[in-house]
Amino acid sequence: MIRAPLVKALGALGSPTHQIASRAVRTSAIVAQTPAKAPDTIEVFVDDIPVQVLPGTTVLQAAAQIGVEIPRFCYHERLAVAGNCRMCLVEVEKSPKPVAACAMPVMKGWRIKTNSEMTRKAREGVMEFLLMNHPLDCPICDQGGECDLQDQAMAFGSDRSRFTDINYTGKRAVEDKDIGPLVKTIMTRCIHCTRCIRFASEIAGVDDLGTTGRGNDMQIGTYVEKLFLTELSGNVIDLCPVGALTNKPYSFVARPWEIRKVSSIDVLDAVGSNIVISTRTNEVLRILPRENEDVNEEWLADKSRFACDGLKRQRLVAPMVRMPNGELQAVEWESALIAVAKALQKANGQIAGVAGQLADVEAMVALKDLINRLEGETLVTEQDFIKGSGTDVRANYLLNSNIAGLEEADAVLLVGTNPRYEAPLVNTRLRKAYVHNELQIASIGPKIDLSYSHDNLGSDASLIKDVCSGSHAFSKVLEGAKKPAIIIGADILERSDGAAIHATIAEYCEKLKKPDWNPFNVLQNNAAQVGAYDVGYQPGLQRINQAQPKVLVLLNADAGKLTREQLPKDCFVVYIGSHGDNGASIADAVLPGAAYTEKQATYVNTEGRAQQTLPGVSPPGMAREDWKILRALSEVTGTPLGYDTLDELRTRLEDIAPHLTRLGKLEKASFNELSPKTATSKSISGGAIDVKQKELREYFMTDAISRASPTMAKCISAVNKQQRQDEAKQSVAI
Amino acid sequence: MSGLSHIMRQRPFALQMSASKVANVLVARWASSQDIAPMDLKSILARPEEVEQRNKLSGKITVPKAVNLSPISGVPSDHIRERRVRIHIPPKNAMQSGTDNLQTWQIEFDNRERWENPLMGWTSTGDPLSNMNVQFGSKDEAITYCERNGWRWYVDSEQTKKERVKNYGVNFSWNKRTRVSTK
Amino acid sequence: MTKYLGINRLSKLFQIIQEAGGLKQTYLKLYRNDDLKIGTLVGIDKYGNKYFENPYYFYGRNRWIEFPQHVGMDYDGSQIPAEWYGWMHYKTDLPPTRDGCRPKYKWIADHSENLSGTKESYMPYSTTPPKVEAWDPKAKK
Repeated sequence: MIRAPLVKALGALGSPTHQIASRAVRTSAIVAQTPAKAPDTIEVFVDDIPVQVLPGTTVLQAAAQIGVEIPRFCYHERLAVAGNCRMCLVEVEKSPKPVAACAMPVMKGWRIKTNSEMTRKAREGVMEFLLMNHPLDCPICDQGGECDLQDQAMAFGSDRSRFTDINYTGKRAVEDKDIGPLVKTIMTRCIHCTRCIRFASEIAGVDDLGTTGRGNDMQIGTYVEKLFLTELSGNVIDLCPVGALTNKPYSFVARPWEIRKVSSIDVLDAVGSNIVISTRTNEVLRILPRENEDVNEEWLADKSRFACDGLKRQRLVAPMVRMPNGELQAVEWESALIAVAKALQKANGQIAGVAGQLADVEAMVALKDLINRLEGETLVTEQDFIKGSGTDVRANYLLNSNIAGLEEADAVLLVGTNPRYEAPLVNTRLRKAYVHNELQIASIGPKIDLSYSHDNLGSDASLIKDVCSGSHAFSKVLEGAKKPAIIIGADILERSDGAAIHATIAEYCEKLKKPDWNPFNVLQNNAAQVGAYDVGYQPGLQRINQAQPKVLVLLNADAGKLTREQLPKDCFVVYIGSHGDNGASIADAVLPGAAYTEKQATYVNTEGRAQQTLPGVSPPGMAREDWKILRALSEVTGTPLGYDTLDELRTRLEDIAPHLTRLGKLEKASFNELSPKTATSKSISGGAIDVKQKELREYFMTDAISRASPTMAKCISAVNKQQRQDEAKQSVAI
Repeated sequence: MSGLSHIMRQRPFALQMSASKVANVLVARWASSQDIAPMDLKSILARPEEVEQRNKLSGKITVPKAVNLSPISGVPSDHIRERRVRIHIPPKNAMQSGTDNLQTWQIEFDNRERWENPLMGWTSTGDPLSNMNVQFGSKDEAITYCERNGWRWYVDSEQTKKERVKNYGVNFSWNKRTRVSTK
Repeated sequence: MTKYLGINRLSKLFQIIQEAGGLKQTYLKLYRNDDLKIGTLVGIDKYGNKYFENPYYFYGRNRWIEFPQHVGMDYDGSQIPAEWYGWMHYKTDLPPTRDGCRPKYKWIADHSENLSGTKESYMPYSTTPPKVEAWDPKAKK
């Protein structure tokens, strides 16, 4: 657990502070997430500046507290300590040898010297060893310009090496590995920091990567030839401190100093990961995660990272109107808007609006205002939810325990959801709790691989009743837990007995809830969903069928749930969105909107956090921001909306729901709200609970953008190829 | 003789190098005690003309509180009325672990259109302010700057850093899931 | 004596007018060429350009071209074909009519004048695909 001599030495000293310190070291090893419980702080000196740190803090962290950054390769804040690169060696007074700052906990009164002669010499030596075998291919390396090795060689390395290759053996060369369509490997550049291995086994929960051989012959690889296929594989690119693992679709595309970085929000799942969009020449080149402790930590799911090439394909670049011959024809904005406005005016209020997966709050509000002004009422989302007044209470559709909060949970029940693919970064939180917090997880639904071991209680819906009545074995676990959580997948609430499932679980959660902890969670899988409910959209397309509208406005609605046959023959369908997909192909008029990298728009994530995207590039061709299209349309119909600028529209948002303009802040649903007693009369009908995304291949294409992405198509074929290979191997073995 | 002059030439440099460090130590250790006024060793070692220059630069110009520089700043009025400034701390590059340039507040204007120049393929823009990247020591300085220049601004929420206890030992714990199996 | 009175110049002028074929023709020639010169006809190329030389004039002005009537005022230095170019620019004193060693291959392309500003002028175009691929409603998946 902890180095035995260290504990002994501490115990032998016997002074009360030392005992506390040693206890703290031990407890912190167990409860890695609760540093606040450590009783006292100890004083150490970093470069003669006193620092108060918690016991168990490493030298590296203590230095970081006063802004002294110790160079490192293998150490990463969010990964386990490996201590194998030795770059972080620092001198500690009275210590005969330099110590590895990343692994060594500080002792009271230590004087750490981060810039002494010995420290500098140690760093130079390590750098000399690393560069002995590192190729000098920086000019053709994709990491060039954002490479830790490059920077640290400049800052801490020596200008020459004492090593002379007298035998002319050359530098170590390692064969490249094919680990999939997303990550490119140039293994000769590897410095064996093992960050990728630790990420795969700790965070992603896929024990695919590892090392073979030792010393100079050590290699990072997958042991047997296979692809590193996980929904989080892109993160190893970020983690790699050198150019050994690079972004395959982005390879040889741009240099970091050429690109402009725009901080934005990802919308391809409901997590709302913070991202940085790298752009050049009005083109999105790549997407990187942006640190946000409360949402995505430092990770990003593969779809969010690599589907950005879908933003360049299948785009709507000009307004289109369906001609008498039944074909869509590109027209000028003016004629398209007049055609739509005429249809709207003729409809006499029989107008309906559908908000899809990628609709932003601003556009949804503009659409709602426009339709209401034209005396239309029907405004729905494509995704269904429970019937009745379910969306009136905010806690009913939010992930109330919060994404960051799930990390502290100690018993979780998943009902009809596969967080691994529906919200990969919620799953990493669950896995983190599983690893560090001894979280117990059970699931009701099909047997799926969640990247951590969990109890599959079965897939029958009646199990929900069993658990919620307290008769099931897992109920005891939930009731005994300090922070229990039940996570319901948004998809199973679409069932006819969804309301009953929702009500049963909500009632049970009433019993489970603790002060400051709401165990009731709905995991949404669409970025637009929570925002749509917040501004008053109703769930479900059934209302469209009932209303039989004359004009139907689809706002980014591309899920293909709505077909032409369900609509009345004379219904005029207007599509506003960025991609030509299911929505645009059934439309009579197509108004090209902006994708999420092209507009400043608000999205609310599954925990109810309003965040905004910022435009990195301008919309292609004649495409415009969605709310501006609706504003222009309202002018043509003669019912102008009361806002001309984004600021005015945001003011309107504030009137509807004030939390929508408090960007970045989590607006928790009020605690006592949760009790939808209205629908309890219905009973759970039973039958198997299913999830839509069971396997990795189902994860990659879930919306208009990822469906248009060639990289995502490559991922699917890679998964299929891997499966065929595995099956072939198995049949040979049999 | 030549050896001595060599040392003499080296000395001032060496002194200057250590002086800043010594000053740091002195300040750190004695700053709290009232009776000893810490002295800046730099000024002791400085040449008289340097001291004079420093004294000249230390003079302050007092400016009235609310100042509107927009009429004289030369920025076109379109770029004052319509622009919105985002005040933020630059995000860490996910590709690297260094954090050296993330301690400042920056201002950034709303992103305007950029296009590829058809002649050379370089990026063109009609927005000179997009390249204006000013760094500030604090949020308030940035806000003051924006207000003086008449720009509307908003502050991007600050991220909180979480303290976490790292421990090498958990890799080898026998009864915890943190135990590392593969390597 | 005639020299001092300028009579020799007058006689030259008469000569020029005579060569040109009357006063009207002289005027037209002056209008078209901004110059009136007489000289020996060195050759005529296949496009109808007439090349003259008169060593009486100073070097640089002693070789000139008269473009054919049908081009009117739309004459242009680039209408001089390659074989006469060298003689016109004093690269050689041997006009192509007298130079036997000029290569004559079948594959030598016909001369064409500078087409800038005309319909046939060269227009560069991008060969790179557009960055954004538009949706085509007709293409069925």
